[in-house]
Amino acid sequence: MNVSTIMLIAGVVLILTGCFELIRTRNMLKIIIALELAIKAVSMFITLGGWLNGNMPVAESFVVSVIVIEVVVATVLAGIAISIFHKHGTMDIRNLRNLKG
Amino acid sequence: MSALAVITQLFLALPLLALVVNNLVPRETMRHTTIGMSAGVATAQLLAAIIGFVLLSASGESSFRFALAWDAAKGLGYFRVDLVTLFLLACVGLVSLIANLTAFTTIDDHRSSFTNLLMVMLLGMNGMLIVRDLFSLYVFMEVTGIASFVMIGMYKSTRDLEGAFKYMVLSMLATIFILTGLSLLFIKAGSLSFDLLRPALFEGVVDAKTLLSWVALVLLVSGYAIKSGVVPFHSWLPDAYESADSAVSIMLSGIVTKIAGVYSMLVLVRLFPGNMALRGTLLVLGLLTIITGALLALQQQSFKRIAAYSSVSQMGYILLGFAADTRLGIIAGLLYLLTHALAKTALFTNAAALEKRLGTLNVNEMGGLQAKMPVTAFSSVAALLSIAGVPPLAGFWSKLLVLIALWSAGLRGVAAAALLLSILSGAYFLRLQKKAFFGKLNPRWNSVVEITGGIQVSELLLSIATIAIGLLFPLVLLYLQHAGLV
Repeated sequence: MNVSTIMLIAGVVLILTGCFELIRTRNMLKIIIALELAIKAVSMFITLGGWLNGNMPVAESFVVSVIVIEVVVATVLAGIAISIFHKHGTMDIRNLRNLKG
Repeated sequence: MSALAVITQLFLALPLLALVVNNLVPRETMRHTTIGMSAGVATAQLLAAIIGFVLLSASGESSFRFALAWDAAKGLGYFRVDLVTLFLLACVGLVSLIANLTAFTTIDDHRSSFTNLLMVMLLGMNGMLIVRDLFSLYVFMEVTGIASFVMIGMYKSTRDLEGAFKYMVLSMLATIFILTGLSLLFIKAGSLSFDLLRPALFEGVVDAKTLLSWVALVLLVSGYAIKSGVVPFHSWLPDAYESADSAVSIMLSGIVTKIAGVYSMLVLVRLFPGNMALRGTLLVLGLLTIITGALLALQQQSFKRIAAYSSVSQMGYILLGFAADTRLGIIAGLLYLLTHALAKTALFTNAAALEKRLGTLNVNEMGGLQAKMPVTAFSSVAALLSIAGVPPLAGFWSKLLVLIALWSAGLRGVAAAALLLSILSGAYFLRLQKKAFFGKLNPRWNSVVEITGGIQVSELLLSIATIAIGLLFPLVLLYLQHAGLV
């Protein structure tokens, strides 16, 4: 059991945790946290990739870009969630039922 | 410096320049000119891409490498355009132009924000089309995505926000898929550059690392499928299209899903030709998409929702073209993309006209509007016939090319199935036309008048383009025959 195997397993566990929480929860804020958790695990995969094939500088630039993008996406998503909270007074996604068909 | 070197600079420079101007000049001064400026950028991009296409095909080179102006002097070339991407850049310019013409009428508040977001979206799509590695493709895809989320939720009504939230959560799931796939591919190949990714990644003894590249392929295809709204990942798409403003729906349906999703699939097809698994996946996804999209479109009540599900359904034909995995298949898929963009853009401009004049989009409340809104009815019928594949309109020829490509690639059963299923697209559009434009006039709409201004211009423009491309298409066929493809 070397370091890379442990990191790989930890990453898969983190992604699965995020996806499980995504299915289980009905709270918008928790959905955002679950998605963020999974993306963090993916950044770990990229670092692992750079480490395994000796291409660390490229991996570093990838990870920095991913972090920047993820922050922007999380901000916009949280903004939309807050606006929905102002409309309905709750974070429950069961209120999102206006569009059907 | 050649002419092509100047033209290629425009694709990034124009949207950036427009963004800067739009934000430097005070908002009240810009209010009346801001959409005109973005329409100008779109027109310039359309012309630049067409000129670039002609220049590149005349020079005989397969692709042209370039870099930002200050790096080009050092001999770097981290961007490239080829005939496929120049064709798609022209499509981006065309659809953005129509969206701007519609926005003159539909968008009243937030005009300046609309221009800002549209320019960011244009920048993202142009970036996706000129980059040379999978990671930059992802970065620009995310730029396009963020602009479209904000555009959908721009007016902050309950429906807007709901559509944007659904799109955004699924799109983040797509991000997770794509990034995991990219990192696995990175472990195996050591790079994500288009030059270094080869079909050989999937060959040889089946060990742990070959397995990684297969897992990566599965994840990438699922991620791109979510982005392009292919069945079974289509649930966000009708909600997002219905809730957004019509000008935004035109952008989303006409080009964003096609560039963000379908072009990325095309990149995979071009990187790994002859990969049977990829081909089979695209075939199954394509057929499933055509059937499910058409059946769901049959039971919708809202004009925009019918158009949205038809968008889902037509995406299947483009994927089938790519699944043939020949040069003809790719050309057929791209031409289908153009004709579908024309027809679907026309339908969403009709939706904008109906929403403006009637205040509702429920087709059950319409009826007999042909007498009151002749231009809208005409362009909607032209778009319908083009999508259903009736000769001599543009849609017929591109559908024919997809079928020929499938047939000559040995997929005769699929070609026959695709032909039969095109009856379904005729069915849902006939239902739409019958309820909205034909029949007896609903007395409620006695005082309705035809739409004017930018929407009417774009309706006429699109109908003429659909008919003209259809009539001139034999020239394209002659060219293809000359190249030995048909």
